[in-house]
Amino acid sequence: MISLTINNKPYQLDIDPNTPLLWVLRDHLDLVGTKFGCGLAQCGACTVHLNGEAIRSCVTKVSRAEGQKVVTIEGLSDTGEHPVQKAWLELDVAQCGYCQTGQIMSAAVLLNQNKNPTDKDIDAAMSGNICRCGTYLRIREAIHLAAEIQQKNG
Amino acid sequence: MTQAKSSINRRSFLKSSALAGGGLMLSFTWLSSFKEAGKLTDPELADKWIELTSYIKITPDNQIKILNPNPEFGQNVMTSLPMIIAEELDADWQTIIVEMGPHDNMKLGPQFTGGSNSVRMYWKPLREAGAAARQMLLSAAAQTWNVPMEELSTKDGIIHHVKSGKSGNYGQFATKAATIPVPKDAKLKEIKNFNVVRNSKKNVEGQKIVTGKPLFGMDYKQEGMLIAMIEHPPAFGMKLKSFDASETLKMPGITDVFKQELYPEDFEQGGFDTRTFNDLLVVVGKSTWEVMNARKKLKVTWEPRGDAKDVFGGRGGKREVIVPGALESTDAQRKKMQELASQPAQELRKDGDPEAAFKNAAQIIERTYNAPFLAHNCMEPMNFFAHVTEDKAVLAGPLQAPGWTEPMLSKLLGLPPEKIEIQMTRMGGGFGRRAYGHYLGEAALISKKTKAPIKLIYSREDDMTYGIYRPMYTATYRAALDANKNLIGFHVKGGGIPEHPVHANRFPAGAIDNYLAEGWSIPSNITIGAFRAPRSNFNAAAEQSFLDELAEAMGKDPIDFRLELLKRAKENPVGKNNDYNPDRYASVLQLVKEKSGWNGAENKKYSRGVAAYFCHNSYAAHVIDFIIKDGKPVVEQVFSAVDCGIVVNLDAATNMVQGAVVDGIGNALYGALTHKEGAAEQNNFHRYKIIRMNEAPQKIEVHFVQNDLDPTGLGEPPFPPVFGALANALYKATGKRYYDQPYGPQLNPRRAF
Amino acid sequence: MPKKSMTLITGFVSLVALMSFALKNEADFTKGTIHSAKKDSIESVKAFKDVYKVLMSPRCMNCHPAGDTPLQGDDSHPHSMLPQRGKDGKGIYTMKCANCHQATNLAGLNMPPGHPDWHLPPADMKMVFEGKTPQELAKQLVNPNTNGNKTLKQLLEHADDGLVKAGWNPGEGRTLPPISHAAFKKAWITWIENGAFAPSK
Repeated sequence: MISLTINNKPYQLDIDPNTPLLWVLRDHLDLVGTKFGCGLAQCGACTVHLNGEAIRSCVTKVSRAEGQKVVTIEGLSDTGEHPVQKAWLELDVAQCGYCQTGQIMSAAVLLNQNKNPTDKDIDAAMSGNICRCGTYLRIREAIHLAAEIQQKNG
Repeated sequence: MTQAKSSINRRSFLKSSALAGGGLMLSFTWLSSFKEAGKLTDPELADKWIELTSYIKITPDNQIKILNPNPEFGQNVMTSLPMIIAEELDADWQTIIVEMGPHDNMKLGPQFTGGSNSVRMYWKPLREAGAAARQMLLSAAAQTWNVPMEELSTKDGIIHHVKSGKSGNYGQFATKAATIPVPKDAKLKEIKNFNVVRNSKKNVEGQKIVTGKPLFGMDYKQEGMLIAMIEHPPAFGMKLKSFDASETLKMPGITDVFKQELYPEDFEQGGFDTRTFNDLLVVVGKSTWEVMNARKKLKVTWEPRGDAKDVFGGRGGKREVIVPGALESTDAQRKKMQELASQPAQELRKDGDPEAAFKNAAQIIERTYNAPFLAHNCMEPMNFFAHVTEDKAVLAGPLQAPGWTEPMLSKLLGLPPEKIEIQMTRMGGGFGRRAYGHYLGEAALISKKTKAPIKLIYSREDDMTYGIYRPMYTATYRAALDANKNLIGFHVKGGGIPEHPVHANRFPAGAIDNYLAEGWSIPSNITIGAFRAPRSNFNAAAEQSFLDELAEAMGKDPIDFRLELLKRAKENPVGKNNDYNPDRYASVLQLVKEKSGWNGAENKKYSRGVAAYFCHNSYAAHVIDFIIKDGKPVVEQVFSAVDCGIVVNLDAATNMVQGAVVDGIGNALYGALTHKEGAAEQNNFHRYKIIRMNEAPQKIEVHFVQNDLDPTGLGEPPFPPVFGALANALYKATGKRYYDQPYGPQLNPRRAF
Repeated sequence: MPKKSMTLITGFVSLVALMSFALKNEADFTKGTIHSAKKDSIESVKAFKDVYKVLMSPRCMNCHPAGDTPLQGDDSHPHSMLPQRGKDGKGIYTMKCANCHQATNLAGLNMPPGHPDWHLPPADMKMVFEGKTPQELAKQLVNPNTNGNKTLKQLLEHADDGLVKAGWNPGEGRTLPPISHAAFKKAWITWIENGAFAPSK
């Protein structure tokens, strides 16, 4: 049995500890906001927070998350109240939308660690997340907007 | 519409257990989450929906629902098609519930996403549907209030009778309106009175996207569902010889391993039934990771397939095609293309006397352009849910054209079309790839064989190495100039594997007296498919680079040179079949010239390139500005001008053009799929580079030509000319012309992938 | 480390100067547990040839890049998605090494290789291998100012450092360094114990 805390909820799972966190979330906990894109940590679609860091859940064994704090897109804010989600909606960033939860999870970590990122900071932080539709300019703009919202919220 | 109600019985299940006090409660249902796009519908309402035309449903308490007919893959149809209906219905957009329609070509039209056709083909029918429903509601109100219909007006979903001061919402009249026959000639709004269309409306699924709600095929789940994956041959031209699954079957969670034939011998394929591999080695199990893991334990022997035969049915009658069995390598393919390029080819169009023009030329300029296969690499890998039983088949997942896939399923399963239900989920990208529904056939057969609901999932590697690529192309362009540097002859000879890219009747055909277009092709077992305007995106690189070189050789400004040619094509066109409108073509060049400050002193700091192209009924031009950063050329900004007629959803359309620009830059710089002994040399993003945030331009300014023409395509048209503008800007930045895609590795030999 | 010797190594480039550096450091050596009775510049430089071959192989050099982005693959191309070194060498923001690189290797081709302490040298001491000549690299390795503040004793022990040894356990599909870890360790010790001489070029 593995004990997990995901989005502040405790879970106990009888599962192979080598199973990637991604598939535990998607197949076993029905938290499908975290996406499968490549399986090699190349595209960032599977990004979740492990103790506040933007880890790639497709290459992270669930055993690493045991006893740690995991946040997925569903826990960032299930109603879209997080500043990053608000900014994403305000600028209507998404096209197909498949990569966007990973983008949002990455952006949230960036803004947590840098309250007012420059374009250069954003480029450095977000280059691990592929958007095949090419919404990068809006993502950049939305991160700036989210920084403003975050500041206003204090 | 009873979908929401029935879905309650199909709750997703959990293997996990919630701890006391943890409050775990997964009460949402999978199917209902697919069905609603805007606000959540109260399932209790399900029986109260009153249908007014096949696209509109209204409840007596004035909930208004619009069905989106066309599959959404990021092009915004889920929002923009309902906007067209809402406009003519004159409803309040804010209160409308949008829902993905079921697959029903009788009620909801052609229902395919592709060829930049969604808005174009639905524009008139959806306007008419909205207007018809509005008229039915007005008739009902007129009857109820006993007043002439002409005295009634509508605003934001409320019917007003000014004389009497009476008003009422649509819901009040819905029941009565439904008894009135659908009018065929309902009056459409005047364009100047549009207040939904031509505005910017937010993506109706935006909230679900940013909160990670289940939307995509990958997210689809049903009780008892198994996961299936297919081990396909490691190379084009190979097939399954034998396998030993004993180790795989010992792995936890694995329920079955078997060989499954996709199409039986002599199966008549439709145009979009392309499949690369026919013998499927299927692994089925309880969870995705278990299946992925167990696949690694398969012991498989593959063998060369040899030449194979494809049979195509359809309007042209039965047609047999031999697919060569050779294991192809990119180097050998290039050599073969060079050979073919120098041999006689099929004449596609000839104007005047091009031979004489080249014979008499004072100067001949000849350039050859090459481009590799490209993989779509949709972010969501191919997948589909299928549950096939004796008497019906239910399928759900990402698909661009259910109506094209259904006949194949019907033949494969031996079920009539009405027993096949295809539910369309939001697609994590498509780009043409998901018009080819082989993976539904695969999923359906696996479900039938295992007698279980299954979800077929492709890994990224499965997806990237399966084929259905943008073809490999080459084209040689020749221009004949006279002693005064006038363009007197033009010749394009294009070839490709397995098709050539030439659109013989496109610009600059029609603008040059002596013109020759030829094409040739080499058959291959590497399968191809639509890819965001596959021929056009090559042509717009080659032809637009070539025109740039010509302009330079002639001492002309590249925009002015193109405008001169377009003027000729308008005033005194050569030939009869020119398939573009010179005025609209010129208008995007003029607009981009103005907006980019072309030749402006303030822009001298940029290395600028321009290109324009026409495809899928729309016109697009870009100016791309490079700067040199840390010794390397990088795209700093882009100006885009597009004429696609009326723009339905302005902000979403802008987003799409920006995305097309980024996609074009990425593919021009990095896109390439190469082969060795039939095996794709790129199988995941570590080898196949996709443009990333740090390479995206700082600014992409999008301008639309303002006119009242019926809308045309937008998914494809802005994409092709990016390639040409980029090549031309690179020339300015580096002093070197680039002829072979992708350009990136030539700029920076230390590839970043 | 005495400041004097550091100035010497950075101040002189001739073999004589390097010899004098080695001699100057003899004191440290005798204080340590490892005692070498004889020093031989030819033996030392010969051993360094093997050391250099290993250090410049992709498995070592890829994490000792000239820039702030690690390298990747047997052709040492820039790491895809261009992660940055960061102050502590462990990446920045959303692109920390450990976000993808786990404590152990993962099964399968092209999976991120793993180690519990996966990182680049920190920003204040980048310990660049990429592009270095044998002489430059040798000098850099013995200078505490450029080698991560390591004494020669610590340098000797570094041959068994976990991250160094990870070079010989690189994960599926990756080429091993040109010689075994045992052979490397032997060359490393021979090089240092014979005086840590730098080649002439």
